[in-house]
Amino acid sequence: MENKAPSISKVFAAGLWQENPVLRLLLGMCPTLAVTTAVKPALTMGLSVIFVLFCSNIVVSLMRNLLKPHLRILMFTLAIATFVTIADLFLRAFQPEMSAVLGPYVPLIIVNCIIICRAEACASKNGLFISIIDAIGMGIGFTVVLCILGGIRELLATGMIFEIKVMPSFFVPWAAMRMPVGAFITLGLILGLVNFVTGKKT
Amino acid sequence: MLKAIKHYIEQSWLLIVSSFAFGLLIAITNAAWQPRIEQNKINKLNNLMNELIPNAKYECIMTDVQVDLGKGKIAKSNVYKATAPDGNSAGFCFGAQGAGFADKIELVIAVDAALEKIKGYSVLSSNETPGFGDRIVGDYFRHQFINAPMTNLSLTKKGDDKIIDNNIVAISGATVSSTAVVNIFNNYLDQMKKKINEKKAE
Repeated sequence: MENKAPSISKVFAAGLWQENPVLRLLLGMCPTLAVTTAVKPALTMGLSVIFVLFCSNIVVSLMRNLLKPHLRILMFTLAIATFVTIADLFLRAFQPEMSAVLGPYVPLIIVNCIIICRAEACASKNGLFISIIDAIGMGIGFTVVLCILGGIRELLATGMIFEIKVMPSFFVPWAAMRMPVGAFITLGLILGLVNFVTGKKT
Repeated sequence: MLKAIKHYIEQSWLLIVSSFAFGLLIAITNAAWQPRIEQNKINKLNNLMNELIPNAKYECIMTDVQVDLGKGKIAKSNVYKATAPDGNSAGFCFGAQGAGFADKIELVIAVDAALEKIKGYSVLSSNETPGFGDRIVGDYFRHQFINAPMTNLSLTKKGDDKIIDNNIVAISGATVSSTAVVNIFNNYLDQMKKKINEKKAE
């Protein structure tokens, strides 16, 4: 039986909602919790993941017919590590302050489950175009959620968004929102809200 | 034997070729951006030193000075001589490091030309807890070091932070980070004083 090729719009939309890596698949939790203290680092992390996902999906898709089953994870990791190193060097060269803020979490993209997952589930089984669309959809889905989390935490922790004061003067900043506890609570509430909206019971 | 070699090549040629290709890509990227990364580090250090001793010109007078951090740990640091616009010596700056609450804390410490008083410190890198330990970069804590004697410092939990002496009042809720900074000073001040005096005597 011939496999039906997935439609482009469905592949793109999957990353944004139905298979959103953070909200639906709960992948990439380490950067999701660690770098969302504010919008800027969240956005930088999201863009870095989009770059790595885009490049690794292209490479994996192009070499998919040459991959030996027992070497495929090794090949994925090799490709991902290369592009993560390039992203890390770029940030250190052109965004040194943001690179210092993100610290070890940029090199840790190498072990980000989202990228391995998309290489295994999509790029190694589909053509170049579908793999690129999948990378963009998943990357944007991941980045948007990170920015929402970062926005909520920055707003409540400092009263600012993008370092611009938006809360009234009587607002007392919640220091806890900058700490891990703030990340867990915010993510938990967002996941609860998503489950409530989608009617997911188990 | 030849059959075995052929088998191994068949199985691994893609991995070997990819390793070379990706390695080359990283090497080229690194060669292109490394000068900029190094320049960023120098700029950051210069900015921090200029905050501590403004309007001075800096000259590296000692490189890789070994400092015993205790427990068999040795750190290396460069010493910079600050020259005021009138040509007189304005003091010395050197890098310093030690274990913080979450990770290594790296400081730039400035001392006066007579090696009697501390001129202050700036934080080169730290991953201390947001909202608590990261207040070591704030003025409340840093101001206590400005013009403090270049002797062994001690940390107190209560006291008047306006009195400048060798007693440093800890940051409330960040005793470990406060202790870490004081320990870094205590590890470096005496040893650096000796090394700089030896250099002066040459």
